[in-house]
Amino acid sequence: MDEYVTKFNRLLASVEKPGRYSGGEWNTPDMSGERRGDMCFCFPELYEIGMSNLGVQILYDVVNRTEGFKAERCFAPAEDMAKALKEADIPLLSIETKKPLKDFTVVGFSVGFELLYTNVLYMMDLARIPFRYADRKQEDPVVIAGGPCSVNPEPFADFFDAIVIGEGEEADIELLKRVTEGRERGLCREDILKSLLDIEGVYVPALFKAGDKVKKAVVRDFENAPYPTKPLVPTIESVHDRATLELYRGCAAGCRFCQAGFWYRPIRERSAEKCAEYARSMIESTGFGELSLCSLSTSDYSELEALEDELSPYCRQRRVTMALPSLRISSFKPDMARDSRKNSLTFAPEAGTQRLRDVINKNVSEEEIDKISVAFEAGYDSVKLYFMLGLPTETDEDLKGIADICRRLKSLYFQKRNKKGLNISVSCAVFIPKPCTPFQWEAQISLSEMLRRQNYLRSLLREIKGVSFSWHGAESSVLEAALARGDRKQSYVIERAYALGARFDSWTEKFDWGIWQRAFTDVGVTMEQYTREREEDEPLPWDFIDAGASKRYLLAERKKSREGVATRNCREGCNACGANRLGRCTIC
Amino acid sequence: MLVFKYVKLEESRYISHIDLLRHVSRILRRAGIPVKQSLGFNPHALVFFSPPLALGVGSVAEYLVADTDMDKEEAFERYNASVPNGLQATDVFECEKNPNLQARIVAADYVFDVPYASLPLGDELWIEYDKKGERVKENVRDKVLCQFEQDGKLALRLSTGAVNLRPDRLLDFLRDSMGKRLDCCDVTRTRQYILENEELKDVDNALQNASINR
Repeated sequence: MDEYVTKFNRLLASVEKPGRYSGGEWNTPDMSGERRGDMCFCFPELYEIGMSNLGVQILYDVVNRTEGFKAERCFAPAEDMAKALKEADIPLLSIETKKPLKDFTVVGFSVGFELLYTNVLYMMDLARIPFRYADRKQEDPVVIAGGPCSVNPEPFADFFDAIVIGEGEEADIELLKRVTEGRERGLCREDILKSLLDIEGVYVPALFKAGDKVKKAVVRDFENAPYPTKPLVPTIESVHDRATLELYRGCAAGCRFCQAGFWYRPIRERSAEKCAEYARSMIESTGFGELSLCSLSTSDYSELEALEDELSPYCRQRRVTMALPSLRISSFKPDMARDSRKNSLTFAPEAGTQRLRDVINKNVSEEEIDKISVAFEAGYDSVKLYFMLGLPTETDEDLKGIADICRRLKSLYFQKRNKKGLNISVSCAVFIPKPCTPFQWEAQISLSEMLRRQNYLRSLLREIKGVSFSWHGAESSVLEAALARGDRKQSYVIERAYALGARFDSWTEKFDWGIWQRAFTDVGVTMEQYTREREEDEPLPWDFIDAGASKRYLLAERKKSREGVATRNCREGCNACGANRLGRCTIC
Repeated sequence: MLVFKYVKLEESRYISHIDLLRHVSRILRRAGIPVKQSLGFNPHALVFFSPPLALGVGSVAEYLVADTDMDKEEAFERYNASVPNGLQATDVFECEKNPNLQARIVAADYVFDVPYASLPLGDELWIEYDKKGERVKENVRDKVLCQFEQDGKLALRLSTGAVNLRPDRLLDFLRDSMGKRLDCCDVTRTRQYILENEELKDVDNALQNASINR
C-alpha cells in the first residue's frame, strides 16, 4: 500500500484545498494494529460536504469501536485531484491510511440524494472498481450502499452487491463481519452474498426474486444506540462545522410531501439526560464552538426545555453557541435570540394558502405565521421563508398567497418597528413526489409549467419592496423526480450520463441538462414516464420494501389530502401508520 | 499572556491560515486553556498569530499568542495533549503584553530540500508566479536577504510579514538554477526574526530575554 503514499503526498502540494485529502483530523481513531476486515465509507461529494454528514460519522464510529475491524473514509475528489490521480496512475485512496479502495473488505457508499448517483460511478471509476455487481471478480471488494436513497434503491441496485435499507448502525457492522468471515473461510462471492440475506434491512440485488420482501432496518433501542461522542474535527471548514447532537429520529408532523417524515418512523426519542451527556462529551472532545440540537422538528422534542436548561449554563460558560434548527413558527420564543449577531430567522410555511397547507398537512395556520411578529419585537429585521411550488392541486391563487404572506409580514413588522425595514427572502423549491410518502403517486408538473409558475411568482414578488426571490433549477428538479421514482432501467441512464461527462450534478454550475436528456433518450426511456402520475393499483419499484408506514396508510393520507383534511400531529394521538411494527414508537 | 512556539508539519501543513485560526480556538477550548475575550460588541478570543505560512510549506517556528493566566507549564502540557499530529508546541514563553508578531516579524529562514549550492542571485531577481489567476512578474531581489547552508541544504532568509516573499514562489527559479523540481512540501520555515535596534533578532531570543516588550 505504501507504493502510493509518497506519490500521493506529492500531489497534495499541487491541488486545490489539499486538506480535503490529507487526513490527520483530531479524533481520528488509531488505525494501527491487526485488522480482520475493514470498510471504507465513501461519500460521493466533496470533503467539506461529506464531513457534515452525521450518518457517516455514526457508522464510522460503530465500526471503529469494534475490535478487529477498522473503518476509513473517502470523499469524491474535486476534478483537479481526479485528474492528478489519473496522471500519476494512482487509484482512489482512503484518507486515513491511503489504502486503495479496491483493497478493502467492504466499500460502502452513502447515497443521500438522487443527484449524487453519477458521483458514485465517478468514485468507482477512480477506484478501479467495476460499476456493476455482475462484472466484479472474486478479488474485488463487496460494494454496498446505504443512506436516505435506499427508500428506492432500484435506480442504482445493479451497481451494488448489497444495499442496506434503512438505518445502518446494526446492519453495517454485521455485514462487514459476515463478509470478513466468508473471506476467511474462502467462500466464493455468491456464497458470501447469500450469507448476508438474513441481516435485517439487507437487500442483495443479485439474489432478489419476485415476491421477496425487505424489511427496513430500524434501531430499536435508540436511547442506547452508539453515538459518536468523539466525532472527527474537519481539517478544513465544512458546511456544518459544529458538534451535532441528534435528539430523536422520526417526525410527528406527518407533512405529506416529506420523505424523511415517513421514512424515519417510528419516532424514537433520546432522553434529555443522555443528550446532555453526549453534548458535553462532544464539546470536550472536539472544542467546537457551536452545538446544534438536531432533528426533523426540534421544537417537537418532548424534553427540549429540560435539555436547554441543562445545557445553557454549560455552553455559556464555555462560550459555545447553541443552535436549534428546524423550529416550528409557533414555538419561537424571543429568548432564542441569544446570539446577538443573528438577526435572521428561517421558517417554512411550504404553501401560500391555508387550503393548500391542509392538502399537504403542513399544520401552520395564518395565526401562527402572524406570531413571527414576536421575533420583530425581539429585534429581527430579516426573515427567510421556504415554499414549494407545484404541489398537488396548486393553483395561481396559492402562489398569490405567498405574496400575501410577505405583505402581511411587512405590515406586522411596521406595526412593531419602523426602523430599517424588513428583508424577506423567499426561497422556492419545486415539489418532487418521493417514494414512501402519501404523494408517491402524484405527478410532477411539467418543466414548462414550472417555469411559468416561477415567472408568475417572481412577477408577484417583484411588486413588494424588500422581498427577494430565489428558486431551484427546474431542470434538475425534473431529473431528481425522475430518478427518485426510478427502476432498474435507470442504472443504464446513470451509466450513460456518467460516460457523457455528468458528475457533481447537484452543483448548479456542473449540472448539464443536455447530457441527461441525451442519456435518457439513448437508453430508450423518457423522464416523463417517471414523473407522471401513478395509478393506485400500479406496482411501484419500491413496493418490496417494508418501510413501516403501510401502503394502505399512505393511500388513506392521499385521499384525505384531496379532501383537504389535515391529520393530527402524532403527539396528539397515534394515527396508526403501522411503523411501530418495526420498533416501538416512543411517543404513541 | 503566553506565546506558544509550535511546528506546522505533516498533514497539518495543509491547513490554511484561515482554517488554522478556527483550529486553534478549538484546540484551546478542548485543552481547557481559558482565553480572555475582547470587550467589543462582538467578543472574540484574544489569540494572535505570527505571519501566515503559505499552504503546504512546513515550519518548525510558528508562534501563537493566547491571553491567558494559566501557568505556562500546565498550559504547554494541556496544549500538546489536544493538538492533532503536526501542530505540536515545542516551547512556551511568558509575555507581559501582546508582542504583535504579525506586524513585527520582518524576516524568516526557509530550508529547501536540496543540497546546498550557492545561488546566482545577481542584482536583480525576476520571478514569475500566479496571483489570483494572473501571471505576475516581479523583481524580488530585495526580499531575498541572504543565502546560507543549513544541515547541508540550501537555506534562504526572506522578507516576511508586511513585505513578504512566499518561498513557494521561488520554486520555479530554484528548478531552473538547481536543476531539481521542488514542491511547497519540500520547504520548511525554521526561524523568524523581528527588528531590534535595526538588527534582525530571532523571535525566540527576543521572547526569552523579554526584550520583545521593551
